[in-house]
Amino acid sequence: MNRRALLAGLAAAGGALAAGLYRFTDLFVKHYPPTAHDDLLEELGDRDQAARLGAAVDNAPDAKALAARLRTSLQGDLATAVQADIAAGRLTEVKGWLLPQTVVLLSALAAKS
Amino acid sequence: MSAFVDARTLAAGTVLKPDIAIVGGGPAGISLALALAATKLDILLLESGSMNLDPAVQDMYAGSQSGDDYASLDAGRLRTLGGGTNHWGGWCRPLDASDFEKRDWVPHSGWPFPRTALDPYYPRAQALVEAGPWIYDQGDRLASAKAPMLPLGHGGLYTSWFQFSKMRGDVLPTRFGVRYEADIKAAATIKPLLNANVTAIRLTPDARRVDRLDVATLTGLRFTVKPRHVVLAAGGMENARLLLASNDVMKAGVGNQNDMVGRFFGDNPIPRDVATLVVFSGKRGPYYGNNLNMGNGAIMRAVFAPTAAFARSRHIMGSLTTMEHPVELDETGKAAVITAAIALGVDASNARAFSVGCGMELMPDPDRRLTLTGEKDALGLPRLKLHMRVTDDDFARYRLTLAELGRQLLASGAGLLRLNCSHREEWLKNMDWGHHHLGTVRMHSNPKQGVVDGDGKVHGLANLHVAGSAVFPTYGASNPTLNLLALTLRLADHLKRIAA
Ligand SMILES: Cc1cc2nc3c(=O)[nH]c(=O)nc-3n(C[C@H](O)[C@H](O)[C@H](O)COP(=O)(O)OP(=O)(O)OC[C@H]3O[C@@H](n4cnc5c(N)ncnc54)[C@H](O)[C@@H]3O)c2cc1C
Repeated sequence: MNRRALLAGLAAAGGALAAGLYRFTDLFVKHYPPTAHDDLLEELGDRDQAARLGAAVDNAPDAKALAARLRTSLQGDLATAVQADIAAGRLTEVKGWLLPQTVVLLSALAAKS
Repeated sequence: MSAFVDARTLAAGTVLKPDIAIVGGGPAGISLALALAATKLDILLLESGSMNLDPAVQDMYAGSQSGDDYASLDAGRLRTLGGGTNHWGGWCRPLDASDFEKRDWVPHSGWPFPRTALDPYYPRAQALVEAGPWIYDQGDRLASAKAPMLPLGHGGLYTSWFQFSKMRGDVLPTRFGVRYEADIKAAATIKPLLNANVTAIRLTPDARRVDRLDVATLTGLRFTVKPRHVVLAAGGMENARLLLASNDVMKAGVGNQNDMVGRFFGDNPIPRDVATLVVFSGKRGPYYGNNLNMGNGAIMRAVFAPTAAFARSRHIMGSLTTMEHPVELDETGKAAVITAAIALGVDASNARAFSVGCGMELMPDPDRRLTLTGEKDALGLPRLKLHMRVTDDDFARYRLTLAELGRQLLASGAGLLRLNCSHREEWLKNMDWGHHHLGTVRMHSNPKQGVVDGDGKVHGLANLHVAGSAVFPTYGASNPTLNLLALTLRLADHLKRIAA
């Protein structure tokens, strides 16, 4: 094996290892293709489930409008926004499920991103 | 000691002259007779049925219907000694103080007296239904000692408690005919007459008093009762029927000079599976889904009730919401649970979902009513027709209550709620009824708005009273029997005063 082949082999192995590691950490922290709204979507612990829920939201605006709305309403962290929604009775029904409005908007954004 | 007398053995043309004639031997009639037993008054208890159900007797309860679906008129009643308690569920809960109040968003609401007027009678009513010690307000303490209660965030609903009737030595709720047979027989002043059907209330020509009752047996015997006082205790539909059918002196029927008899029919609708309640921890105290023996003679079950303040602020009606059997979630449901739990910062890995049911109060409606038809029963009494009506507004108001429950579950981080019914068909799909017949002889101090006054006396008639849930002008969501018994015991005290 010449030196070039050895380096290429090592590079390929390193790439495979990195990819494997990436996939492996997926078990703990899911990785998603980057979007323009990751600053918002990272609030969601499980973006797949949120997207599934978000797909059921009736008449959701497009991602850009959702993100704009969330950037205004979601000033602090998600937990604070959710508690404020609950206290103010800002609940939205998704297929009958009564959920804090911010959770629904984020879920709809996840579905559209 | 008076044995039961079979009216069919009386001589034709007999005239009986008791101090008080009680028409109907259901829980109201039996309790009234027993409450008066210690007086010197002669009590005649006239019961259409006997100890066993006779289909020919039961057939006199059959009638017709229009409007929304409702149980057939002979299905939710039993024409035999003990009446409805021969097939009741034994659910007991006192009415709330707010059920007696005038609610400005509920037309025709308000009793002539507050709940405090019944308070002295509830302990004896509780003893009659054999529901154990009076601990409706101690459920939280007793339950938490067994298993943690579901926390609700601050808001419009609270955990409230039912207690259950259980007949001594039996697994079933107290059947008044069986349970109190010996007590009735032991009372020297009570004359119980079985197979005795009252067919007419005959007034004096001036329409100021009841002169006599016509009574008949299915064997064709007819006789007369000339009492000093009459109490109708024939049930929430039959009381109205007897008044309407007795129309020889008052042409619209006894007590019906203002066209109120038979109107405002009420019941507690019991729509099933109205919501899905998810408990994030998956742990649910056994007293939510089942009737639980609390170990002190009381069997209890937790329900969710609206506070009076919430009812006032949202203009809702009474309701009692129950948790029922476990259910499976679909993919959207699972996604909702996981997403909400993460946002709330709680663990939902063991979450479980339960079906939710309820008992509702309907908005008073004068057109939900009983009328007489041209068809007659075996003794010539016109049969009843019920026009039933549940409005979308009734469901919409209860939906507000459910939504508040959902909000409070989120607020405490304990769970999540799905509203399963939006459209009328969804509410009606799994609809049951309480078979609580209410309101048709409603109580009001103004004769234009009610048939009986606050003492249960028919307006304008000196010696005719009505017992039972027919007189409830509004009724909340508590099952009626405990409450109608408290009211009957109050009536007994009134009769003792006026008839002594
Ligand atoms: C399936 C079912 C479950 C129920 N569960 C509950 C529950 O869990 N909790 C609760 O609180 N309530 C419950 N109820 C309602 C309860 O049964 C009634 O509230 C109660 O029986 C009413 O008592 P009452 O004495 O006024 O009338 P009834 O019990 O109807 O008694 C009337 C009596 O009058 C007699 N009568 C009728 N017409 C005449 C006549 N012309 N002459 C002489 N006698 C006559 C009848 O034979 C009967 O014995 C239930 C009812 C049903 C059908």
